[in-house]
Amino acid sequence: MESVLSLAYSLMDRLLPLAFTEPAFMKRALLAVLFVAPAAAAVGVPLIQFRMAFFSDAIGHSAFTGVALGVLLGIHPLLTMVAFGLFVAYAITMVKSRTGLSPDTVIGVFFSTVIALGIAVISARKGLTRNLQAYLYGDLLAISDAEVFWMAALFLAVAAYLFLAFNRILLLGVHEGFARSLGIRGRALEISFSLVVALVVTTAIRAVGILLVTALLVVPAAAARNVAKGAAGAFWTAIVISLLSGVAGIAASYYLDTATGATIVLFTAAFFALTAILRGSLKSGNA
Amino acid sequence: MSRPPPFHTLEIRDLSVRAGGMEILSGIHADIRCGEVTALIGPNGAGKTTLLLAILGLVPYSGTIRFCRAEEHGKGTPRIGYVPQRIDLDRNAPMTVLDFFALSSQRLPVFLGPSRKSRAEAETALHRVGSDHLIGRPLGKLSGGELQRVLLGLALRDDPDILLLDEPVSGVDVSGEELFCDFLDQIHQESRFSLLLVSHDLSVVTRHADRVICLNRSIVCQGATTEVLTPETLSAMYGSGARLFSHRHADGHGHLHGDGNE
Repeated sequence: MESVLSLAYSLMDRLLPLAFTEPAFMKRALLAVLFVAPAAAAVGVPLIQFRMAFFSDAIGHSAFTGVALGVLLGIHPLLTMVAFGLFVAYAITMVKSRTGLSPDTVIGVFFSTVIALGIAVISARKGLTRNLQAYLYGDLLAISDAEVFWMAALFLAVAAYLFLAFNRILLLGVHEGFARSLGIRGRALEISFSLVVALVVTTAIRAVGILLVTALLVVPAAAARNVAKGAAGAFWTAIVISLLSGVAGIAASYYLDTATGATIVLFTAAFFALTAILRGSLKSGNA
Repeated sequence: MSRPPPFHTLEIRDLSVRAGGMEILSGIHADIRCGEVTALIGPNGAGKTTLLLAILGLVPYSGTIRFCRAEEHGKGTPRIGYVPQRIDLDRNAPMTVLDFFALSSQRLPVFLGPSRKSRAEAETALHRVGSDHLIGRPLGKLSGGELQRVLLGLALRDDPDILLLDEPVSGVDVSGEELFCDFLDQIHQESRFSLLLVSHDLSVVTRHADRVICLNRSIVCQGATTEVLTPETLSAMYGSGARLFSHRHADGHGHLHGDGNE
């Protein structure tokens, strides 16, 4: 395991002989971003088709409680965070289909409940806030080798899932009844997709933090929508934007001494602005 | 070639659908005959779309829906084609017409590009509905009539035994509407699937349907088009204020507007 990473790091020294990639923690951060950012952007493409940005935000905020529970129970917060995120994703999907309430209503209920639970736990135990800082804003530069491996595994899992389910998910997003008339099992797909989103969100929190995690999924996909005409174009544009933003964000944060996660998200936002302007000029050009 | 004797392709017996404590449909007995055009009419909120969804197995229901299949068509469950109301579609998706076809015809994810097979299938299907030129166009940029044809082409791609059309002419201008229906007639002549058509437009129904089912939460009446569309049935279904062809256009095209909101 370690030898794989050191090989990757020495490769990075060869390929990127830049000052900002010299320290080991910068190499780890860069590697982590190369795994997490495209996974988040790829999942983001069907996510915005389903209008699930709010869902992703709710899962992100559930991490607050997940981390607090981990510290309280003496389990590694990363594990409880992911497990709790998956639980909340499943619960939202089930409650939504049981009650027939609109998605934003159900998510709104869960959103506030998980935050309230997190605050209650944290306020009861002094000294917990210190642990939360890293999760609120993300801490890409403090990432461990084990976490880099976790992110690589996530990347592979998302790639495999999308390889198998992408067409069906997209079709479900265009028209549910129509997709189901073609034999697509909507419920199973919806649940599996929610769980994958939860997995990506809770993992990406280590990179950009609870407050910004949704941006990593939504903004590249939204920017891609501005310019892409076809499904493949939108998918790859989102991934390229996420990779460029990730690398540029890390480099810029190194030289400007800004928070890494926030800097990455600012780059995705810049791409969004750029594509929005491009779209505007394309439209007026056509007219 | 003479038509084979009609037999029941779809038997609906004592069908009820409940949602949110409300009975949306109750005690539906109806037959959709093989090779015929059956029109499903009724006011807004009568449960027309719900009945289609029940046939598709997309809403839970009580009662039975039985598919009967002629010996000559072979064994197995019938294929159902479905054309949803075009207004229901997410038209902001970054997706071309070819992508849309590829989503349901290839295993390979569409982000790797449409396969040769799905391109060929899309070309054949679009050719059949006279829309070859639309293959590369973004789905969201199609006009109402163009999108209708694309949806119809996709529904016909897998050679359905039964085709369900939900308000195929809603939101399309009058000339486009007639064109679409004539064209649908022509395809129907060629392929002879059973067609169940939800429509608001009684002129479309009188011109194109063999049989009519009048629905208002339960069956008001059903039978051959000419026998069913009488002032009595229509007032029973839409309320006493309603008249057939309540306004007429110069081209003999009439609408009946039911009251109530969707």
